[in-house]
Order: sequence, then C-alpha cells, then structure tokens
Amino acid sequence: MSALSGAASVVGIGATEFSKDSGRSELQLAAEAVRAALDDAGLRPSDVDGLVTFSMDANAEIAVARELGVPRLRFFGQIGYGGGAACATVGHAAMAVATGVADVVVCYRAFNERSGHRFGRVAAGATAAPTSGGIDNGWQYPVGLSTPAATVAMFAQRYLHEFGATSEDFGRVAVAMRRHAATNPRAWFHGRPITLAEHQASRWIVEPLHLLDCCQESDGAVAVVVTSTARARDLPHPPAVITAAAQGSGADQFTMTSYYRDDLTGLPELGLVARQLWAQAGIGPADVQVGMLYDHFTPFVLVQLEELGFCGRGEARHFLADGGIELDGALPVNPHGGQLGEAYIHGMNGLAEGVRQIRGSAVNQVADVRNVVVTAGTGVPTSGLVLAVG
Amino acid sequence: MSAGVAPVADAVQDPAERIREAARRLVEAGDCAPRPARDPVNEPMINNWTEALGDANPAYPGIAPPAMVQVWTMGGLHGQRADDDPLGAMTRVLDEAGYTSVVATDCAQTYARALRPGERLAVRARLTDVAGPKRTALGEGWFVTTVSTWTVDGEPVAEMMFRILKFRPPPPPPPPRQVPRPQVNRDTAYFWEGTAVGELRIQKCGECGALRHPPGPMCPRCGATRPGYVVASGRGEVYSFVVHHHPPLPGREVPFVVALVELEEGVRVLGELRGADPGAVRIGAPVEVDFDRIDDELVLPAWRPR
Amino acid sequence: MAAAVTRAPGAPPAVGTELPALRLDVTATFVVATALATRDFQDVHHDRVAAVARGSKDIFLNILTTTGLVQRCVTDWAGPAAVVRAVSIRLGVPCYAGDELVLGGRVAAVEAAHAGGPEGVEVLVEVVGRCGLGDHVTGTVKVVLP
Ligand SMILES: [Zn+2]
Repeated sequence: MSALSGAASVVGIGATEFSKDSGRSELQLAAEAVRAALDDAGLRPSDVDGLVTFSMDANAEIAVARELGVPRLRFFGQIGYGGGAACATVGHAAMAVATGVADVVVCYRAFNERSGHRFGRVAAGATAAPTSGGIDNGWQYPVGLSTPAATVAMFAQRYLHEFGATSEDFGRVAVAMRRHAATNPRAWFHGRPITLAEHQASRWIVEPLHLLDCCQESDGAVAVVVTSTARARDLPHPPAVITAAAQGSGADQFTMTSYYRDDLTGLPELGLVARQLWAQAGIGPADVQVGMLYDHFTPFVLVQLEELGFCGRGEARHFLADGGIELDGALPVNPHGGQLGEAYIHGMNGLAEGVRQIRGSAVNQVADVRNVVVTAGTGVPTSGLVLAVG
Repeated sequence: MSAGVAPVADAVQDPAERIREAARRLVEAGDCAPRPARDPVNEPMINNWTEALGDANPAYPGIAPPAMVQVWTMGGLHGQRADDDPLGAMTRVLDEAGYTSVVATDCAQTYARALRPGERLAVRARLTDVAGPKRTALGEGWFVTTVSTWTVDGEPVAEMMFRILKFRPPPPPPPPRQVPRPQVNRDTAYFWEGTAVGELRIQKCGECGALRHPPGPMCPRCGATRPGYVVASGRGEVYSFVVHHHPPLPGREVPFVVALVELEEGVRVLGELRGADPGAVRIGAPVEVDFDRIDDELVLPAWRPR
Repeated sequence: MAAAVTRAPGAPPAVGTELPALRLDVTATFVVATALATRDFQDVHHDRVAAVARGSKDIFLNILTTTGLVQRCVTDWAGPAAVVRAVSIRLGVPCYAGDELVLGGRVAAVEAAHAGGPEGVEVLVEVVGRCGLGDHVTGTVKVVLP
C-alpha cells in the first residue's frame, strides 16, 4: 500500500448530454460539466483550488476557472498522450490532495469531437509540428497510416495472427458494449443492440477492423471532483476511494505506433500500470467486481484483459466467448456501454461510470461492487485507477 | 457563292462520320462571299511591314512584298469571321466534337503578279479537305485545308493553301499527389536523402553498431551520439499490415495496403505495399523495398512483393 | 537594316548553291512589331501574360511574319529584280521572344521560266529556319531571276 492509496476520493461526477452536435462551444460544455460535478459533490466553485485536464483539451484551466468564478487556483496541469490522460488527471489530482498542495481538484474533458474536429479524420499538419511528435508522425502519416483506426489495426492484425483469434472475437466486445448501452438511457445507442452477424457485415474501415469495431464520435463533456477522503465523509455521496493511481510508458514507446518492439501483441505500458495498481491497492484481479476498460477500438479490450491479469496472454477470446465481460460474467466490463455504446468522451465517461458502480447508483448496477479498475487510452502512454468503496 | 450550310442531321451518330458529313457539305458549298480589304495596297503599310521585318529590298514600296498579300485582308483588331466563312464553320463542328485545340501546319502562297499601291483586294475562301481522325504528336486530330483566293476587280492575283490541325488536347497531367510530408531534421535527413537516391538507409550507431529505426540522435544502447547508417538490402517480410478502406486519404486510392516490414537486418519499417492484391496479403510474405516518388523533393519508402 | 545582295548578277545559280544565312534576334519588340505590321492582333503575339496563360512560355512569332522572313531570306540573296512566284512553308516549333532565328537556303532546282510569266530562270530554293527549340520552319520559295 502506497502513501497515495486511499488518501483521496472522487466525490462528484458531472456531465453534459452526449450528442452528435452539442450546439455550443467546447468551453461551455466544460463549464457545464464542471458545475454539474460540483453540484453533485455538494461543493461550490469557490471551494475549487485545482483543475486538471488533457493536453488535447481546447479549454485551458484558466478559461474554465473564469467561467465558474473560481477565485484562486493553486494546482493546475494538463496530461499528454490523448485518451491516455484520462485516469492520470485523477491520479495527479489525488497526488495534489494527498500532499496538501490542493484541497478540491476538478478533472474535466470537453469537446465537440463529432460536430467539430473529428479524430477519425486525417489530422492535417500532424507531421508539421516542430516537435519530437511531429518527427515521429513522419514515419507513419506520409506512407498512408494516418488514422487511429489504422494504427490500431496494425496491432490487431498481428494479434489475430499470433493467437489464432478472429474478427468475431473482436466483435464480441462490440456486441457486449451495445447490449449494455441498450439499457442505459444516457447512451447514444440506447435501445439499439447489435448482433455478431451485424458486426461481421459492417463495412471495413481499416482491415481487420470493421465499422463496428470502432467507437462512435461524440460531443460532450465529463468532469469529476477529487478531494481528501477525510473531507469526503462530510459530502452527500459515498466516496469512491482512489486506492491506486498509476501512469505507464514502455520501452521504445510511441504514440499509437509502438511497432518496433520485439512483440506487438501486448500493451507493455498498460502492463506497467496494472502492476502498480495491484501493488498500490493491495489487491489482485480476483478482487475486482467491475472493469471500466477503454474501448475506442475492440482489439485493445482483449489485450487489456490480458495485461490486467483477468486472463492469460492470448486467452482473452476464450474469456469473451465464455461471457466474461457480460453483466453477469467473471468481470463485467463497461456496464454503461463504454465508448462503443454510450459516448466517446476520451475515457472520462467510463471513469464516471466507475464512480457510479462504487456508489451503487448505476443503471446497469453490478451487485456487491467493492473495487473497480479503470483504464485509459490504449496504444499510447496510459494510466489507470482502482476505485473502492470507502 | 454559298451561305447557309444546313446543320448536319442529328441522325448521324458516329462522331467521325458527323465531321466528314459536315466537311462534305462545306466543301460542296464552295467559296464564301468575297470580303474586301479595309485599305487599298498602300505605301505606309508596306513601309511598316518592311521596317518591322527588316526587309531592305528596294523594289518595295513600289510594289508590295508578295508575302504580304494576306496582310491586306486581315480581320484587324476587332475582326469577326463572316458567317459563311468555311474555316469558321468547320472549326465549330470540330470544337463540338472535342477537337478544341488548333495549330497551323502548312501555308503555301502563289502569286500571279505583283501588287502596286492603289489596288483594291478582296479575298474569298473555300474548304477543300478535312482529313482525320489522325494520331499526331499533339493528340488525335483532323487536318483542315482551305484555299483562299485574292482578286483585284475579279482578277485572281494570289492564292493560298492553308492547313491547320484541329486536335483534342491530351488530358491534363494528374495533379501532383498531396500526401502529408514528413518533417526532416538533422536526426532524420539521412533517411529521406536515402530514399531520394533509391536507398533504404537504417541508422547504425557509430560506436556500438546497433541498428535502429526510427532513428534518433542518441544510441539507446551505448549512449553515443555518433549515428551513421547502413543501406539495407531492402528485403524483408511482412510483420503486420492493414488494408485501408476509410476515410479517403489525399494522394491514395482505397483500398490500399500499409505494411510493417521486418527487414533482413532485423529492424522494422512502415511503407505502402504496392502491386499486391489487398485480399491476398499475408503476414510473413516476402517483400522488397520500392520507392514511391511523390515529387522532386519527396520519395517515400514502399514495398512490393518479391 | 541593309541586306547585302550576294548573288552575282547574270549567270544563273547552280543547284546546290547555299544562300547566306539570315540571323535574327527575335526580341519581344521584334515579335510585337512584326505581328502588328502584319495586322495580327492575337494576344499570344504581344501579351506575355496571356501567352503564358495559354500554355506558351512567352509571346512567339506569327505565321505571316514567318512567311515574310522566308521570302526575305531568298530575296536578300536574289536581289530586287527577282520575282517571287510562291512561298510554301511547313511550320515546326514556335519561335519565342528571346530566341535567335537563323534562316538558310539552298538552290534545289533551276529551270527555264514558264511561258506567260516573267522571263528568266525559275529557281526553287529550299529554306530552313532554326531557333533554339529546333526547326521553326521548313519550306520552299520559287523565284524567277532575270
Ligand atoms: Zn551505440
């Protein structure tokens, strides 16, 4: 158990509606979500002294603070590497709270990812930035590997080859997520489950990925409030205690294109996160009742199950075939429907669902939840959390 | 003297036959009405001509330079072709058929006698031949021949055979391919300079000899900052690959294959796999390096089956 | 511009006789002046911007001028008493402003003039005009020499 474990808790969650066209600015989405999270926590903007977001977020901490009338900020920061930042925002907030640097830190992510800039399109100027990232992109974009789906497909092809898995194994993830979303009124795909045959029949995006292997694109915002677990006892909701928070980057790490390692079938950066999570929380996979696994593309859900230790290497397809990620399975995954079913808010909506599962307030509530593991963007330097009942 | 040439019946569908039919009617129509020159043959215009061409022949301007005959009946700055001008009519037919470009090929003038200042010229023209379609260096086209006759008070004084080629301009060259361009800096320049000369270069540590791709300024094995490179054999195997279908990408036609290739030297390099059926690509397939020339400044590494 | 008459009067020329070369600096001014003197107002002969827009690299000589220069190449040599009966040309590469045009000729045939025309010998001269891009014009000029 680390000094960090248990010191801080998530005490408030807030979100806008999830849509394809929010009709308002990204800053407004951010401000609405943060205010909703503070209301949920029973706190006021004047209580906030820390803000953390993604480096990809278009809304600076000071802009959000202005909108909410936050009078002073003692702690602020932005985490890099796309969706890999999701759990790290809370991890950094927890470290600030645990060390007394800040009292109340709000983590947020807001974007019009569907009606505005779409990540699934080729990022213009990706190779132009005069940075190491701009140079890195020069090995992939010019030769035609230029969308997130394409970069994941390269891993997925090798995974299929090495483990004898098939596209249907990926499809089982999509079917489960859509089944969960079908009973979640907040989900974009509420009431719209799919079959494995529909998954198989959906058009190719980048082989071996079908359309239904790819998460949706969404407009929306999510925010969560972190404060000390001691203070959390006085707030309206039962705390989701942060018993572990970790980041990870592996050897020869790239953003989405770590293709030059010996092995292409794992996510060593997530393996590093997993080992830290279990050590900090003092638990193992068997002690987790719900998994909030980042599902921008189905193949990496299989790899996450393996890296987190819920099954052995190359065995995720059997875990899936046995119904392992269903609501009544060995590890219910993303009861809200995930990013494939609810919305793509860069992992932050999964984090909020993890808090609901701890509180016992989720629409697809899993029974007797004591520990929830949450992951962040995969294929990039990433992060993770363990949330526990207080 | 003809005017109204009936339009070619729409029933004639074959484009070449339509052109031939129009040509037949125009040839049959014979000479157009004579068109008088604006000015009589005159010394000032002769002097302008000899001055411009540098022709010091003392016979001028007592007589007009024979090769000047066409000048007297030029249409001028605001000239319009007459409605019954056979070359104009034939040009419209060929334009409509897509033979929109024109180049003059032959001009043969004969002079019955010298012209003197004061004489008033008129010119009439007839279509004599339309030949085609012919393949030419400029593109497919038709040779259109007219004969013009200059007269003074009805007396023929000069004649000109004039031939043009009306051709279908070749399609414009495809626009240059626009692909995202790699940023080249001092750590990576050797690689792109290599592809430009047909070499697949792999970074090699100048100290410990470790091979590395993508490259960087400091050897992660020994810490040296003396990177060099070796030229790879270019042979390798597909380690993984994708078939891109969506979204459309600038500079590429979908579907296309991008392969992560493990070279014989043991490092992996990304590139488009060209010349392979996307449905038949397999991990382990042997490939060799290919070079995809985008323009004079960018050549991308690529692969082809071997 | 004085042109030397180089043919010795009297004796008819021999087949194969080479005419003196006519060298011309085809300046933009030359292109424009000759186009206007031949009443050819097409923009490609005087407007560089328009010429480039139409795919040419610059303004270029017009056909009427080329015809006149082929004639001049022969009459400079044949002298003022020669009677030009025909000028026949085939056009080649364009001659752009800034180029040099070199015209040369060679006597190809000599025969008695036809009845009814001017008296003398009828001489057929083959003419070639070359510029930087290659043959700008090839042709023949028929003149009757007294
Ligand atoms: Zn080294």
